[in-house]
Amino acid sequence: MLLVPCPNCGPRNASDFAYGGESHVRPNPNQATPEEWRSYLYMEDNPAGWLKETWYCRSGCRRFFTVERNTATNEFREHPIPGTKLGGKA
Amino acid sequence: MANALEFESPITKRYPSGGSRDLALSDESSQTKTLVRAADDSAAASQLGVAFGGSRHQAGVHIIGQRPTEWLLVGDESAAAAMVVGLDRTGHVSVIDHTHARALLRLTGERSADVLSKICNVDFGDHMTPDGSALSASVAKVGCDITRDDASGIRSYRIACDRSFAQYLFDAILDAGREFSLTAVGA
Ligand SMILES: [Zn+2]
Repeated sequence: MLLVPCPNCGPRNASDFAYGGESHVRPNPNQATPEEWRSYLYMEDNPAGWLKETWYCRSGCRRFFTVERNTATNEFREHPIPGTKLGGKA
Repeated sequence: MANALEFESPITKRYPSGGSRDLALSDESSQTKTLVRAADDSAAASQLGVAFGGSRHQAGVHIIGQRPTEWLLVGDESAAAAMVVGLDRTGHVSVIDHTHARALLRLTGERSADVLSKICNVDFGDHMTPDGSALSASVAKVGCDITRDDASGIRSYRIACDRSFAQYLFDAILDAGREFSLTAVGA
């Protein structure tokens, strides 16, 4: 099971998320050449190693977030999980 | 009012009520549910006084921080209306009545976490989800908002889902609770 660290909900089973794929900066659609646009839409780096990617927290907070994952080891790094995320009765 | 309509839950009536109530599932859908959306630094947010992941009770209303910048107010009609009227609308604040959009179930009993653990992958231990915790998760494959709201020291959860899933969810929780003698309780 892959535990994905949501910055709002904490670590959750990957089945709670939708995978958004590699995070790339979107080129300016008014200035990008067709080649640049096609590359942005369809071409992936697909490294065996660290990759910045987008996840959508479908069952939890319903927010998109970006996180770095090692595609070879499934390790996440420098993910922002707040320590007091769950709170309690005030 | 003498002729006030009594709330009759359509999802509990197929079950006989009675038996042991040490572990009980009931329908609280008649509660007024108001969804408030506001920025975290807004006056409304500080008025509501609870962050994402927590909840509190004030003036008969259960204020639930169910998602970032999103709160659900649960209470009887007059208490909920009073809180909504008193809400500071400075900035971008939206208030929507969700009473008829969402069903609200309550599961109460010392073993309620054991029941939920069978159909939901969240850790219901006290260290992760103490009393007052609010979270969203899939319960028996239904997207639900869960709030732990212990009653007199007895572990208890409020579980909200889209109303068209309510019968299925009620049946699924009862099924999961059968080994713990979970009982359906009429409204
Ligand atoms: Zn989340």
